[in-house]
Amino acid sequence: MSALDSAPAEIMGMPRGRAVALTRWAIIVGAALALELYGRLFADPSFFQPLSAIARAWVNPIMSDERIVGALGMAVFEIALAYGLSIVVGAAIGMAIGGSNFARASFLPIVLLLYAIPQVSLMPLFVLVFGLGAASKIAFGFSHGVFPVIVNVVAGMRNTNPLHLRAMRSMGGTRADELRHVVFPNMVPSFFVGLRLAMTMTMLGVILAELYVSTGGIGYFTRVYAENYNPAPLFALIGSLAIIAVAFNSLVRVAERRLMPGRRPTARLNLSGARTK
Amino acid sequence: MKSDVVAQRTIQLAFLAIAGGAWWFATSSGAISRLFLPAPDAVYAALSRLVGTNQFWNAVQITLATIAKAYGLAIVAGVLAGYLVTRSRFWMEVFEPIIAGLFTIPITLFFPMFILFFGIGPGSKVAYGATYAFFPIALNTIAGLAGADEKYLRAARSMGASRFDVFRHVLLPSAFPVLLTGLRVGFFICFASVLGGEALASIAGVGRNIALAAELMESARMYAWITFVVLTAVSLNLLVTSIENRVAKAEGMSR
Amino acid sequence: MPVDTAPDLADAAISIRGVTQRYAAAGAADGVLALDNISLDIRRGEFVCLLGPSGCGKSTLLNIVGGLFKPTSGEVLVGGRRVDGAPHPDEIAFVFQESTLFPWYTIIENFRIALKLRGVAKSEWDDRAMEALRAVGMASFARHYPNQLSVGMRQRVNMARGICVETNILLMDEPFAALDEQSRMVLGEDLSILLAKTGKTIVFVTHSLAEAVFLSDRIAVMTARPGRIKTIVDVNEPHPRAPDFMLAPRFGELRNDLFAMLREEIRVAMASQRDPVGGGVT
Repeated sequence: MSALDSAPAEIMGMPRGRAVALTRWAIIVGAALALELYGRLFADPSFFQPLSAIARAWVNPIMSDERIVGALGMAVFEIALAYGLSIVVGAAIGMAIGGSNFARASFLPIVLLLYAIPQVSLMPLFVLVFGLGAASKIAFGFSHGVFPVIVNVVAGMRNTNPLHLRAMRSMGGTRADELRHVVFPNMVPSFFVGLRLAMTMTMLGVILAELYVSTGGIGYFTRVYAENYNPAPLFALIGSLAIIAVAFNSLVRVAERRLMPGRRPTARLNLSGARTK
Repeated sequence: MKSDVVAQRTIQLAFLAIAGGAWWFATSSGAISRLFLPAPDAVYAALSRLVGTNQFWNAVQITLATIAKAYGLAIVAGVLAGYLVTRSRFWMEVFEPIIAGLFTIPITLFFPMFILFFGIGPGSKVAYGATYAFFPIALNTIAGLAGADEKYLRAARSMGASRFDVFRHVLLPSAFPVLLTGLRVGFFICFASVLGGEALASIAGVGRNIALAAELMESARMYAWITFVVLTAVSLNLLVTSIENRVAKAEGMSR
Repeated sequence: MPVDTAPDLADAAISIRGVTQRYAAAGAADGVLALDNISLDIRRGEFVCLLGPSGCGKSTLLNIVGGLFKPTSGEVLVGGRRVDGAPHPDEIAFVFQESTLFPWYTIIENFRIALKLRGVAKSEWDDRAMEALRAVGMASFARHYPNQLSVGMRQRVNMARGICVETNILLMDEPFAALDEQSRMVLGEDLSILLAKTGKTIVFVTHSLAEAVFLSDRIAVMTARPGRIKTIVDVNEPHPRAPDFMLAPRFGELRNDLFAMLREEIRVAMASQRDPVGGGVT
């Protein structure tokens, strides 16, 4: 961390961490205020509305219309199911591929080839095959979520420290002991990187499919509001989905902290997950 | 060792052969409706017909132009934002979590807003693709510039390097590999989101054509488009990977 | 020490006989010769150092003795039994160069695994672990994760894990290499005390001359690759050794003798590292 100025321990008489957090919140609140003012004073109301109007639209119609609440609930269900499937199937495939050098060299290129396909181009196909209901959204979410899990499980199993394996052998450990005490625990951080990425990707898949199917669910309402130049409920609906997304992400993080004691979560900057050597 | 590689290649080819064979068998035996999965030769015929039409080249041209604009915007905005934010450690600590946090939310959510603001033409796709690709580029620029090893900076300063020298000879080269990753990730995100945006709501472009063929139940044509997109994406990916490997190799040798 | 009736063989805790190791390597038809026909008997309760220039194959030899590598030819007997490329955790404990404490387990959990694999009854695990930790003064860190400890503390704990399984033989592969000189000396003293107390047989790989002289009963000086035993030096000083030993004139003499013997080998080793066929560059 370097190129940057040296870091003073205190800023404006506050501990550094608090000053950073405070500034961050000030910026967020400032941005919200600016949007509110812009909405009230300058914006064309058929394109933009102040946050207060969006909040009112959130109470009514978004939260008071059963169909919209139902559509949101459906999206939550689809994301949860697609995510669960991604984890189970992805971990199973990943362990099978990562279990030996031979299997990895044989099958990882195939997985990476499939991962490189831009899945949006398959979206109409998913809807054609799985219909307009929840099935196509779950399937599309799953097909987005499963790859990051596979790739990161394989990567995690690969990065086993050979010295740990040798220590295990010298203590008389069997292959089962190696897997249980070395390979799997070593894989956990990478697995969680996969889980985090998979969550973002699953939500992307489900929401893409939701928006694509505009005859029902969330896609229907966003289309109606956008076509009628009714931005307040549109933004409120999008905001609700964003909150759902944040909640799902936080869930993954909480699980990570619970299940990985004594270790810091790994860096989050490797975003693609697409390339693991 | 060598026999292992042969066996691995055989498995990979066998996988492709089995997938292709299953496709052919499923369609010729009538096990799967032609509506869901047309025969390989029907797709091939549709693709070769498609490539001969003006409509095809128009759509490709529109989509390429959209991607180019979106990606260009994303690079300029992402690198600039990354550079500005890393000017001080304080502002980096303030902004980096905001950018990273936003990127964990599927930006697709906001797609209806882009349609509302920029209309149904290519403009909304440019804005949407640029916004999506901005995040990985900005985040990797931050990571690259902030990750330069202190000891090299100190060495450069001890040799009397100016601020610009430090940027030119230390920061930029050391950030380069990470920056490159950001550009690659950003490109493929841009590519996918422009196609996705076109499929969701537009009047032209490759994505729109896939969706249109699906709506009209012309599945051979839809598969022809999908095949075109998949082949393009996979060959681009292979190209970029081979360039990256070459760069990495050259760097490894020079170090 | 129990007195054995058969003189030479039974007295040897470890008997290395004609061990040769070749690695497959590009550009060398029959591979690179790493160890060339090494023979060495190590008595019970003896502390033997393998000393040599880097790349001479001393770690390889230790791994062969421990059954982690299989030699190309030759054999190793431990307690009269043949080690055939399989570890003997009931006889031999290993301490590696870097800490091999599993970072995902606390210190005490790391010890429990070692004891479990050694077949120790569950009820004894924690007692034995704490005893070993006390011996190296690390008992208060039992519930810490390895990453919460300094390098020196980790290596101290790593050593204690090798001790807690109470094997007759301890193989140590440059266990103090990552430490600063002062920590090395302190841990060396601990080890000398331990040796006097438990009567363990220890084979210790190092490239530090002072460490070799301070700890060993005998020092096996190895040549540059291919590794052979050049000579064996007797130290003749009872354990436990006090730090004063380092100030004794004999200490300095031994050290200088060893360096004189090694200097030529080190030059050979350094030259071969520049030579690609020698394969020293990594």
